[in-house]
Amino acid sequence: MPKTSPMMEGILSKPLTPQESVTVTAVATDITDHQLISRFKEGSMEAMEAIVDRYENRIFNFGLKMCGQFQDAEDITQDTFLNAFRYLNTFREETKLKNWLFKIATTACIRKRRKKKCEPDHELSLDSFTNTDGTKETYDIPDWTDDPSDKVIQAEMNSVINNSIKTLPHKYKLVFNLRDIEGFSTKETAEILGISIESVKTRLHRARLALREKISRSYQEGKST
Amino acid sequence: MKENCKKNFERISEYLDGELGRDACLQIEQHLMECPECRDCFDALKKTIALCKKSGQEEIPGDMRERLRSKLRDCFSSH
Repeated sequence: MPKTSPMMEGILSKPLTPQESVTVTAVATDITDHQLISRFKEGSMEAMEAIVDRYENRIFNFGLKMCGQFQDAEDITQDTFLNAFRYLNTFREETKLKNWLFKIATTACIRKRRKKKCEPDHELSLDSFTNTDGTKETYDIPDWTDDPSDKVIQAEMNSVINNSIKTLPHKYKLVFNLRDIEGFSTKETAEILGISIESVKTRLHRARLALREKISRSYQEGKST
Repeated sequence: MKENCKKNFERISEYLDGELGRDACLQIEQHLMECPECRDCFDALKKTIALCKKSGQEEIPGDMRERLRSKLRDCFSSH
């Protein structure tokens, strides 16, 4: 569990109710989020900043992976938090704050894309990933290096991965980022996007197959130069 | 790609995510043991997912962080 900052300790100094104490070990994060929301509703600006501290990097990175531009990621982060605090009174207690914020961030990404009048999404067909001519397809995917001395290689890998994700069609990119990067379950992703579980599974599989091709191609090109 | 390969290929992500029932898992595992082409395909997909999950996260730049807080304070300081 992350260390509580002095500011958080101040905000959370109110004693927990007996009911909260029972469940605090199992779902500490959610209890804290809900406590922060209550404090914000009572007028605490520190509680608002503590919520931002917790989620701004994740929302910013999601915006960056979705749009590929720092400016767009900043707009999405601002829109997300402005709308979240504006409509916090509609937040349902049984919902996880993280899921709710990502739902708002997803809407911000879709709105940003509409504003930019981007090309319509193209479908990724499963048949395009299966070779029908009988030839054997080989994929060259590197292993991630955890060696801190390989910073240059890690930066190159990050660049290949991010560029590959960036080129996915928008609806596939949304599912991939929520499932594989942010770690939401299939059910949570379906709820955030308002689509069926089957659609999440289909889009995720195709996004992964497309990334396998893109990353493999980039890696092979990099090796040959 | 053979029809049997295609059937398994369609469900590989669900298999990797642990979202298939026992029978379907056994069927895929059996197929992967028998078909080197599908095994290569499976390994590459598994490595792709692992690689993307490991990719780095950016820290929100300091100036953006400050602008965000300032905007929120302006909007909600008297809520």
